[in-house]
Amino acid sequence: MRTFAAVFWVEVLVNTKRVAPYALMILFAANAILWWGWGPAVGRGWATNSDFYIYRNISAFNFVLGLPVFTIIMMGDPVIRDFRLGVDPLIFSKPIGRASYLLGKFFGAFFVLVCCQAVFAITSFLLQWVPFSGMVKLPVQFLPFIKHFFFVVVVSHLVVGASFFAIGTITRNAKIIYGLAACFYPAYASVQLLLKGLPENLLKLFDPIAFNFHSKGEGGWDQTAEFLNKQVVSYGPYAYANRALMLLYTAIFLFIVYRRFSTHEQTKLSTDHLTILTLPRAAETVPLGLESAAPSYEVFDSPIEASPARNRIPLPSVTITRGLRSTLSKIIAAVETEFRLLRSERSLIVLIPLVILLSIFDLAFFQVEPEISYSVTYATGTSKYLLFFLVGLIIFFTGETMHRDREVRVRPIVWSMPAPNSVLLLSKCFATSLLAFALLAVVGLVAIVIQVFRGHTPVDFTAYVVIYGVVVAPSIVFMASMVVGLNALLRNKYATYVIAVAISAVLLYLYNTGHNHWSYNPLLYRLWTYPDLFTANMLKLRLYCFALAAGLLVLAHLVFERKSK
Amino acid sequence: MLVIKDLTKTYSSGVRALRGVSLELPPGVFGLLGPNGSGKTTLMKIVATLLEPDSGSIEMNGADLLRRKDQTRQMLGYLPQDFGLYPTLTARQMLDYFAKLKGISNKSERNALIDALLERVNLSQEPTQPLGEFSGGMRQRLGIAQALIGEPKLIIVDEPTAGLDPQERVRFHNLISETAGENTVVILSTHIVSDVSNLCSRMAIIQKGTILSSCTPREAVEQLKDSVWEATVPRENLPVFKSRFKVISSRMFDGQARLRVISKGQHPSEEFTQATPILEDYYLDFVNRQDLQN
Repeated sequence: MRTFAAVFWVEVLVNTKRVAPYALMILFAANAILWWGWGPAVGRGWATNSDFYIYRNISAFNFVLGLPVFTIIMMGDPVIRDFRLGVDPLIFSKPIGRASYLLGKFFGAFFVLVCCQAVFAITSFLLQWVPFSGMVKLPVQFLPFIKHFFFVVVVSHLVVGASFFAIGTITRNAKIIYGLAACFYPAYASVQLLLKGLPENLLKLFDPIAFNFHSKGEGGWDQTAEFLNKQVVSYGPYAYANRALMLLYTAIFLFIVYRRFSTHEQTKLSTDHLTILTLPRAAETVPLGLESAAPSYEVFDSPIEASPARNRIPLPSVTITRGLRSTLSKIIAAVETEFRLLRSERSLIVLIPLVILLSIFDLAFFQVEPEISYSVTYATGTSKYLLFFLVGLIIFFTGETMHRDREVRVRPIVWSMPAPNSVLLLSKCFATSLLAFALLAVVGLVAIVIQVFRGHTPVDFTAYVVIYGVVVAPSIVFMASMVVGLNALLRNKYATYVIAVAISAVLLYLYNTGHNHWSYNPLLYRLWTYPDLFTANMLKLRLYCFALAAGLLVLAHLVFERKSK
Repeated sequence: MLVIKDLTKTYSSGVRALRGVSLELPPGVFGLLGPNGSGKTTLMKIVATLLEPDSGSIEMNGADLLRRKDQTRQMLGYLPQDFGLYPTLTARQMLDYFAKLKGISNKSERNALIDALLERVNLSQEPTQPLGEFSGGMRQRLGIAQALIGEPKLIIVDEPTAGLDPQERVRFHNLISETAGENTVVILSTHIVSDVSNLCSRMAIIQKGTILSSCTPREAVEQLKDSVWEATVPRENLPVFKSRFKVISSRMFDGQARLRVISKGQHPSEEFTQATPILEDYYLDFVNRQDLQN
């Protein structure tokens, strides 16, 4: 128990020294103020501290604002951090049990997370004393804040946190965590879409983040303010069963991580025999008479001559090329290397099949109504789903690519090379685009196979080429350029993730609420039909998209940290 | 000849890393010696175009290295103090990438160069081993190999032997001594005195961002001729000796303390015998004196 408390406390202490929890608290407090003072309650005459409105706000807070993503990121890496910082040998050489360590880590991180989340509920609670003109308020409420916060937020994020804590601890790969975080919303939306045919109670039972606890008919936009202000939100038996199930899942995840967690190094280190293999050669090159295994200090003060036992190997002279052609070769070389490094990302093993599956799931297992042709329907459907995932994937992998050189500490070497900044920036943009194009091609091929398998022939390849080529491909280039620009500007991977996800979420919200115009929708989400793709106007729109991408790359070049002049 | 003039650098935190550093570095291996935090790495980063100085200039054979960064990078081979490599690539893939970035477009030339480099640094036997599985010494050897790509005229090696075992250190010394050519300036930044005494034709001592001394190792040692004395004394008597004499170093050996003291032209006491001065005596004496003055 004492070791658990020590690990718990240190985890809390470490988090108090980080910027992220405070940033989250500020964000959540601002969000509470926004929804309290400028939410729908004021305009509709709803009491801002009614049980209904408190539940509504807490329930929305539980799902939107990237809260699950924050949970994943905060809960995924407490153990990874110890291994990354190299503090693991110091910890595991002490008499500490696996259970104490893991539980201390998990509950320490979760306590910090809940403290951050609680700022939303606490701010809402305190706002009851702040006068707002034209706002309806009931007498001061206390219990509804606690009830809904614990029932909805704490339990939901406990299970999400436990699952990602397990993944992070077992794989010890932060990239997998971030990759899954980037895919959370598209994956959750896709699963909800796929399960929409199930009975409502089953949806309630298995929904980990309580999004389906209350259906539309149970009160909301269509009810009078008087009714809603008096309404007491109660949870049905399926909701209680769901929460019990989530607590059980949490215990199962923690048990799995307890069983699978190993304190040993996971990567295959260079083994002794490799060193032994090189030793005889090494001995040949040592010019001094090192009789003793522990040389005296003076030995090193003797002058060293080049090895007498081994001839100096001359280096052949080479031709250094300069100019545009050389820059092009450097870009190609850098793209080749960046793409090779991207291919070796372990998170891709999880993400790529997931993205392919979710992109084609609707077409593979549900009825397909042909619009102009089956091929147009298949290509349109896959492009629509794929674009959602590509937003997340490109944000994540471009961030990884942009910051990899610094993280693996190869940056001083790369930056001291005579390669212009354009080589370093374009290679990262092109490598991520190339990955997205490869994914697009695979999704297209799978869609064609499914189309043939389901007998929806003939296959019109032109439809795929046109839809993917005109809609998806330029969007990929734009997104990669945007994320490169943001990364160069912000110089912080995590800040870029948050800003890019926030921009995407806000834009998606605007597009879905009717504020949709090509000038701020370069992905053309909901702005095209198949015949539009052959018009001159579409050419103009796509040129505009490329111009934006070029502008963002120029911005990246201007603000890039490495100086060339 | 590399000429550094009045280089200053203050970080945004307020730390004054360089306070008017001026040096002249002829071709050959030049050792920059100084304790941790003395400004060596800051100076190396500035010369390697990775950091902007607040003021001062760096010229090599008349060319301004600070203003023409791309040209500087063309003639530069840089081995940073703390560097990593892409763990999933092999040594050949990594060197091939760097060679392409250096502008070596011809594939056969590039392959021949990489073969020779791998042979020289004794890594040709690990063609498929990912860099993530390399030992510290192997990584360091690959680091020097990449610094030799493209016939560099200026090679900067920053703390190259820190953390290496004795055998790897000797091997590394060999590589550096093989590298130094007639027209190449090699700057070896280190806090390990034996690295400098083994390799360098000239040296400078830097402390708190200021150059304290610049000379050849021989000149440095000459200054202490007939002044270094050595004695083995009981451990418990160490404080007494430290208070009586100017102790430059003390090491424990077989349960006793082996002291080296400086005493110019005078036998300190009967326990002491005269010792041959080494570069470490000069360095420690210099740094200790500066510490006392400050």
